[in-house]
Amino acid sequence: MINENKTEDPSMGQHRGVSTRILTVEDDERIRTAVRLALEEEGWDVEETASGEEALEAFTRQPADVVLIDIMLPGIDGFEVCRNIRRLGDVPIVMVTARSDSHDVVAGLEAGADDYLRKPFDPKELSARIRALLRRARTDDGPPTRIQLGQLEVRPEEGVVRHAGDDVHLTRTEFRLLVELATADGRVLSREDLLEKVWGYDYFGDGRLVDVHVRRLRTKIEPDPANPRYVITVRGMGYKLQA
Amino acid sequence: MTGRAVADDANRLGLGGRIAMLFAVGGLLVSSLLATSTLVLTRRQLVESREGAAAAMAVGNATRLSNQLTPDSTIEDLPTIVDSLTRLEGGQRIIRLGDDWLPAPELDRDDLPLDLLKRLEQRAAGQVLAPVRGEPHFVVGIPLTAFDADYYAVVDLVEVSDTLDDLRIILLGAGAATTVLAALLGLWASTRMLRPLRRIRGAAEAIAGGRLDTRLGPQADPDLDRLSDSFNEMARALENRIHRDARFASDVSHELRSPLTTLMAGVGVLDARRDELSERSRTALDLLVQDLKRFNHLVNELLEISGYDAGVAALDLTEVDVVRFLQATVAADPALVLTIPPTTRSLVIDADKRRLARVMANLLDNARRYGGGATAVILEHDETIRIAVEDEGPGVPETERHEIFDRFARGSTGGRRGDDGGTGLGLSLVAEDLRLHRGRVWAEDRSDGRDGARFVLELPLNLTLGNPEVEW
Repeated sequence: MINENKTEDPSMGQHRGVSTRILTVEDDERIRTAVRLALEEEGWDVEETASGEEALEAFTRQPADVVLIDIMLPGIDGFEVCRNIRRLGDVPIVMVTARSDSHDVVAGLEAGADDYLRKPFDPKELSARIRALLRRARTDDGPPTRIQLGQLEVRPEEGVVRHAGDDVHLTRTEFRLLVELATADGRVLSREDLLEKVWGYDYFGDGRLVDVHVRRLRTKIEPDPANPRYVITVRGMGYKLQA
Repeated sequence: MTGRAVADDANRLGLGGRIAMLFAVGGLLVSSLLATSTLVLTRRQLVESREGAAAAMAVGNATRLSNQLTPDSTIEDLPTIVDSLTRLEGGQRIIRLGDDWLPAPELDRDDLPLDLLKRLEQRAAGQVLAPVRGEPHFVVGIPLTAFDADYYAVVDLVEVSDTLDDLRIILLGAGAATTVLAALLGLWASTRMLRPLRRIRGAAEAIAGGRLDTRLGPQADPDLDRLSDSFNEMARALENRIHRDARFASDVSHELRSPLTTLMAGVGVLDARRDELSERSRTALDLLVQDLKRFNHLVNELLEISGYDAGVAALDLTEVDVVRFLQATVAADPALVLTIPPTTRSLVIDADKRRLARVMANLLDNARRYGGGATAVILEHDETIRIAVEDEGPGVPETERHEIFDRFARGSTGGRRGDDGGTGLGLSLVAEDLRLHRGRVWAEDRSDGRDGARFVLELPLNLTLGNPEVEW
């Protein structure tokens, strides 16, 4: 189930007079302060933490709307923080990595992050990423309110996914990915299509975001994730949802 | 050129070839030596036995002649006596009686060697090996002491030379066969000997190709075992060093990126509040923003390069539709014309999209800075994929077409380090990224003969990498 009260449009960083809260975890004080200033400039409400332990405590006390996690942290590392927060809720998580090797990116996504940024990043780009992650599932062009695929039932507007009558718990991004595939009427969507529709990236976004999220989605909705029955990989083209 | 082994031109043959050659030369020398000594010894043997036979017969005949002669005998009596004498095949005789000479059918006194004649005038017997009418002959002269007469026997050596000729042919054949056999033996031996070297070469190539954990197994030969130990030690040291470099690059990456993150966020805040700044501050801020961008760019490219140097640069392969990729690439610039073969709808390859995007960005950037902006992007494909980027600038001089891919090379028209934001690393990164993709890049003249540069990227249709862990 998608938590209804978090799917409001936060495009201006505010809704109902309450700021969207961003929890940041960054051990470097100067970066932490500068990023807070930049995010506040964009209209977000920022809570800073300097370690993974502090972040988990702050999140447990009051869940944020978005979490920004630096991977390299003293104590429990960013991946662990990410996994813990993912257990606590569906909140969008953005990983920040300073390393150039790609293992961090994949490990971060597998730990449950929705998107990632490489240091140094443009604060405007960060805001754009946060806004994209907070977008509500696309419903404006009037997709059917209920899509049934075998035993899989998707209700885009209600944010509900059921498999064989049981509620399936998806993160916001996984849900949006599933809805895009479900409303495509069995057409194949390329990684680039999905990057644009779900994450708001242009053609040059990282296709691994899609691949890892599809993998995560399969573990939740497929009876046998190794031999997917719903989300099918079409070699050379992309993914499609099969009835 | 430090660190590059200088090969002697004479040694171009290769170790295996040289060993085979050495064996062949050895075989040739030994067989020649054997043939020559065989010939010399045989010849001596044959000549001596012929000589012996001839001399013995001559002595016998001279004695018999002496017995049959009487003091009254004249030259007319001689033929009848001579007929009773023993004949030797190929032998002839000449007899002097007083002042008369009984010549042989084909020879007479003038054919006899002069020194032998002189010797017999002294009434002493003698024998010489001398040419008679151009052919080697054995001539025996025996004075008949009881009379004023001499007996000469002239024996040819034709039989001997015939035998020697046959022998020579046989030995020549045997020598040639020996040489060829020796060469083959050398080739076989060198192949066997070089087998461990080939294994070492294979291991060295594997290491050069990035499989740093390649090691040689134990060798059967103690000498080779030492070599293999040294090789493994070298490989281990190299691997440690490369990993240390890679760690260093990664650490530097982190260290440089953190302050850059602070800078970008801080400058971003200032930029968002630029309306509150004075004119002078705004100008200063603009400078900061621009150079921060350039600094960021430079740091990224340097880190990228250090990744190649440490051998840790790896491809993040995903399916890339080259047609859509190029359409997305040219979309931002309305002046760019994209040409795609009319029948090509899509062209999916496994590639690193981020790197390909940077390659195209660098080529377009290069065209913008040195060629007045790219005008055309052309896709061609058959067994390989070729993407050409053309501009209408002055082109790249033939002499600079290689060096522009060197680091910090800027070409003769470059050199100005103005506000263009170029780092001088762009094209070298292009070359490295293409190399990672098992492709290549080069600069050439425009195909339509007009002024301008044409950079061509060549990519394999099927990228197969030795390292499967990057694939997913």
